[in-house]
Amino acid sequence: MGYSMTLTENLFENLRLELRRGCLTLAVLAQLKQEHYGYTLRKALAERGMEIDESTLYPLLRRLEAQGLLTSEWREEEKRNKRFYKLSSDGEQIFARLLEEWNAINTSITNLL
Amino acid sequence: MELLDRYLQAVKKHLPWQRQDDIIAELRANLEAQLEDKETELGRPLTKQEAEEWLKQLGSPIQVAARYQRQQYLIGPTLFPTYWYVLKLAFFWLTTVYVVARVITVAAQGSSVEAYAGIALGLPWIWLVNAAIITLIFAAIELSGTQFGGKIAQIPPMGAGWSPLDLPPVGAGDGEDKPWSFAKAIAEVIFGCLFFAWLLLVPHYPFLMFGPGAWYLASLPYTLAHAWWPFYWCMVAINGFELMWKIADLTGGAWHKRKLWRHWAMHLLSLIPLGILLAAPGQQLFLAKNAAANAKALSDANKGLHTALMIAVAVVALQIVWHAGKMAVESYRKRLAA
Repeated sequence: MGYSMTLTENLFENLRLELRRGCLTLAVLAQLKQEHYGYTLRKALAERGMEIDESTLYPLLRRLEAQGLLTSEWREEEKRNKRFYKLSSDGEQIFARLLEEWNAINTSITNLL
Repeated sequence: MELLDRYLQAVKKHLPWQRQDDIIAELRANLEAQLEDKETELGRPLTKQEAEEWLKQLGSPIQVAARYQRQQYLIGPTLFPTYWYVLKLAFFWLTTVYVVARVITVAAQGSSVEAYAGIALGLPWIWLVNAAIITLIFAAIELSGTQFGGKIAQIPPMGAGWSPLDLPPVGAGDGEDKPWSFAKAIAEVIFGCLFFAWLLLVPHYPFLMFGPGAWYLASLPYTLAHAWWPFYWCMVAINGFELMWKIADLTGGAWHKRKLWRHWAMHLLSLIPLGILLAAPGQQLFLAKNAAANAKALSDANKGLHTALMIAVAVVALQIVWHAGKMAVESYRKRLAA
């Protein structure tokens, strides 16, 4: 019984992570219409109900920048050098298309339920 | 904070060297800002235990650094089906070529149980080296695709160029379930009878096999060894047996279903005449008829034929083992489905 519960929990956790993975990118792109550095971005997302681990968010920012969806610059703020990220023009276009896709999926799922 | 410095130093060790300073500077800024928030909230610095708990929550240095790696796998999901297909194909052909080549070499040098055991023991190493080379090649293709933005190469069966029209027809894999028409069954028996008659007549009328060349062969100073007679009668018996089986099927009404196991049983029987020739005394299948015969040419011809027979036996034996395995898997699969 306990063993099968663990299996079910593991399965649920894997499916949940898979479901969240694409949503995280969308959430980050949405939030970076305004400029943020890593920590304030994480706080802003958490305030809107989207909690993301540091070890997931910070590397994700780097990947999105390497893909040309974000731009970044080092700047001093409160006596500390921080890397600020913002949506690039390519990122804006991709974000708009992803949002359309998201809305279409959301509508389909709502219709199915 | 000393513990944070130690943590960042440990993360840095596992980061890609070109980007480690930049990543650590950014991570430090983010974590220090987070630490400041925590301390402002508490109204005091974190205790050692609290700091330890916080850093443990972030994840181990190796795990954190791993998230910054560009690629976390050797062969990605796009390339993996092609990799797996090539690996299976290479395993099959490499095993076949290795076993045939080694068995022939060992048999030619005078076979011993140890030598054959050596062939079996050598197989895992062959597989390991084969898998390592193919994996390295595909890892390099994957790396070039992800690092330099190139398109990952694909092999035709998996690539964009495939077409449903190229797929094999249904049942072409085994043929067991395919119904056999009555006309085909009749034709098989008629041609079987003709072939059997031809086989019986060949020793008396060699021109039926060699055409006009039969008179030229008769003039040569060489003749066939005695071992060819048991070989011949064995062939006659096998063909006669198969023909009677087909006639019994036709008259008994069982002609519509082909039986794959029977086909492979006949293959197994074909090893007997080949074995008879291989066991010929002194490996001599051709003999000198008179003093005009060239001893070296005769010896070369006997050796050549002996080697060819060994290759034939090895190929037939491998085919039988392969199909027996396939039939066993298929029957197990059917039993599971039932």
